[in-house]
Amino acid sequence: MTTLAPTGFVALSGALLGIGIFGILTRRNFVLLLIAIEIATNAAILNFVYFAAFAPSAPLGISGQSIAVVLVGFAATEVAVGLAIVLALHRAKGTINVAEVTELRS
Amino acid sequence: MDALTLAAPFAPELVVLAGALLVFLLDVAGVRRLEVGGAIASAATAVAFVLVIADLGFAPLAGVRTLGAGRIDLVPGAGAAPLYAFSSLGLVFQGLFLVAAFLVALASLGRPSTERGAPIFYGLLLLATLGMLLVAIASDLIFLLLAIELTSIATYLLVGYTRRDPRSLEAAMKFYIVGALSSTLSFFGASLLFGAYGTTNLYAIRAAAGTVGYPVLALLGFGFLVAGLAFKTTLVPFHAWAVDVYDGAPSEVSAFLAGGTKKVGVFAFFLVFLGPVLFARAGGPNPFSGAPFDIGPVVQVTLAAIAVLTMTVGNVLALLQKEMKRMLAYSSISQAGYILLGVTIGTAPAIAGATLQVLAHVLMKTGAFLVVAAVASLGVGPLIDDWRGLGAQRPALSVAFALMLLSLAGVPLTIGFVSKFVLFSAAVEAQGLYVWLAVVGLLNSALSVFYYGRVLKTIFFDPAPAPRATGAVAGAAGPPPLAVGGIGYARAAAIGIIAVAIVAIGIYPQPVLGPIQSAASHFWAGGP
Repeated sequence: MTTLAPTGFVALSGALLGIGIFGILTRRNFVLLLIAIEIATNAAILNFVYFAAFAPSAPLGISGQSIAVVLVGFAATEVAVGLAIVLALHRAKGTINVAEVTELRS
Repeated sequence: MDALTLAAPFAPELVVLAGALLVFLLDVAGVRRLEVGGAIASAATAVAFVLVIADLGFAPLAGVRTLGAGRIDLVPGAGAAPLYAFSSLGLVFQGLFLVAAFLVALASLGRPSTERGAPIFYGLLLLATLGMLLVAIASDLIFLLLAIELTSIATYLLVGYTRRDPRSLEAAMKFYIVGALSSTLSFFGASLLFGAYGTTNLYAIRAAAGTVGYPVLALLGFGFLVAGLAFKTTLVPFHAWAVDVYDGAPSEVSAFLAGGTKKVGVFAFFLVFLGPVLFARAGGPNPFSGAPFDIGPVVQVTLAAIAVLTMTVGNVLALLQKEMKRMLAYSSISQAGYILLGVTIGTAPAIAGATLQVLAHVLMKTGAFLVVAAVASLGVGPLIDDWRGLGAQRPALSVAFALMLLSLAGVPLTIGFVSKFVLFSAAVEAQGLYVWLAVVGLLNSALSVFYYGRVLKTIFFDPAPAPRATGAVAGAAGPPPLAVGGIGYARAAAIGIIAVAIVAIGIYPQPVLGPIQSAASHFWAGGP
C-alpha cells in the first residue's frame, strides 16, 4: 500500500494515550496508576504496529513490528520496577495511596 | 571478524557492565562491604574513562585505543541503518558521564560502612552509567529511548535504595510516576516520527527533518518527544518533580541525578532536534521567517520558549528557597535552560558552548550536592540558615563550596564563566533574534548572583548559631570510618578534584575547549 491515511488510527491511539494520561493524573491508588501507565504505553505500541502494517517496504514493516515486541518487554520491565516500589512503600508506610505520601513539600 | 574485534569498540561499555555484574555477584556471594562495591565502581568508571579519552585521540593514551580512527565521525551509509555510531561528540559526552559516575562512586565511600544496601547502590550506579554510555553512541531513536530507560529504571531504584527512609521512598515513587509518564510520551512521539519518516534512524530523520510528506504527524511526534525528553532534562514546565526528588533522595544520588543522568536528555535533544533546527536556520537568522506550520521554525521557537522559561522560572524560584538542597535543585533547573540554548541556536559554536556548559554543570552540581552530603554528615541541618558560620569552622570545605557557587553564577576564572562566555558569544554571533536569547541568559546570570551571594554571605559572614555541637552529633550517628576532619578521605578527595578542576579549566580552558569545539563542529556538519 503506497498511500497512508493515518488519521483514524492515530486518533485511536491518541485516545488510548489520553485515557492513560488521564488515569496517571487522577488515580490515587498506585496499582491503578501502574495500569494507567500500561494503557498509555500501549498507545505507542499500537502506533508502531499500525505504521508497520501500512509500510511501503518489507524491511520497514519488520522493523516496526520488532520495535512493538521490544516495547512490550520494556513495558513489563517498567511495571516490575513500579511494583517493587509499591511493595517497599507499603512496607514502610502501610499505604499505597499516592495522595497520603506527602512529606516532601516546602 | 572474530568476537574480540567485534567487541573491542564497546570496551568502555563492557567494562562498566562487568563492574555492575561483579557487584551483584559479590552481593549474592555474601560480600556486601561498602568499600568493595565502591572500589569496583570507581575502578570500572575510571578505566572506562581512560578508554574513552584514548578513543577521542588523546595522544599519550594511543596504545589503548579500541576504536580505529575510521570508526569515529563516520556517516552511516544510506542503505545501512545501524543502531549505533561513534561520534566524537558522543565520546565527549561519554567522558562527562563517566566523570560524574566516578566522582559519585568515590565520594560514596564516605558513607558509613555499616549502612545496608551498598551492593544495590553501586550495582545500580554502574547500570545507570551503562545506559548513559549507550545514549552517547545511539544513532537510532528506539535504541536511544531504550538506553535512556536503562538509565531511568536504574535511577528510580537508586533514589529509594535504602528502603527505610520514607522521604527517599516518596521521592522514588514520584520519580517513577513522572519518569514512566515521560517515557510513554517519548515512545508515543517516536512512533509518530516512525510513521511520518518511515525510519527510526536519527541521522536519516535529521537529514529529512523539514522535507517530510506528513508534516502534522512529524510535528506531533516532535512535540511529544519535546515533552518526554524535557521531563528527563528537568525543563520548565516539566520540572516540578525534580525538586522533590533531589530533596528526598540521598545526597550522593541527588549529585548523580543532577550532575549525571540529567545530561542524557541533553544529548538526546542534540540528536533529535538539531535536524529541525537546522532546517529552520536554513531560512535565515530569524526563526519566524518560515511558513507558519513549517516543522523547523515551530520546533525552534518551542525550544527557545522552553529555554527562556526554564532559565527564568528556575532562577526566580531558587531565590525563594530556604533549604539548601531545594535551592540547588532549582538552580540546576535554570542551568538546564542555558544548556538548551545550544540546540536552540543550532550553530557549531553554540553546540560547543552547550557541551562545555554540560561539563561545567557536571562538575559544579555533582560537587555542590557532594558538599551537601558531607556537611549533612557533620550534623548540619537542611536549611540554608543552618550553614551559618561554616566558613570559620570548615574553611577548606566552605572555600570549595564557594568555588562551585561562584562558578554556577558565572564569575571569571571559573569554568562556569568560560562556558557561559562561549555559549552567549555563540548566540551573539548567530545574530538576529538569537542575540535576545543571549540577553535573557545574561540577565538570568545576574539574577542568580543574588541567591548564590546570599548563601556565601550566610556561610562566611553570619555568626555561627550558639550551641554548635558538631562533633557530638556526628558521633551519635556513628563515626565515619575514614574520618579526616569528619567527612572522610574519599569525599574530601572527590570534592577536592572538582574544586581544582573548576579553577584549572576556568584559567586555562584550551585543552578541554579545543576537543569539544572540534567534536561539536563534526557533529554539526552532519556526521555523527
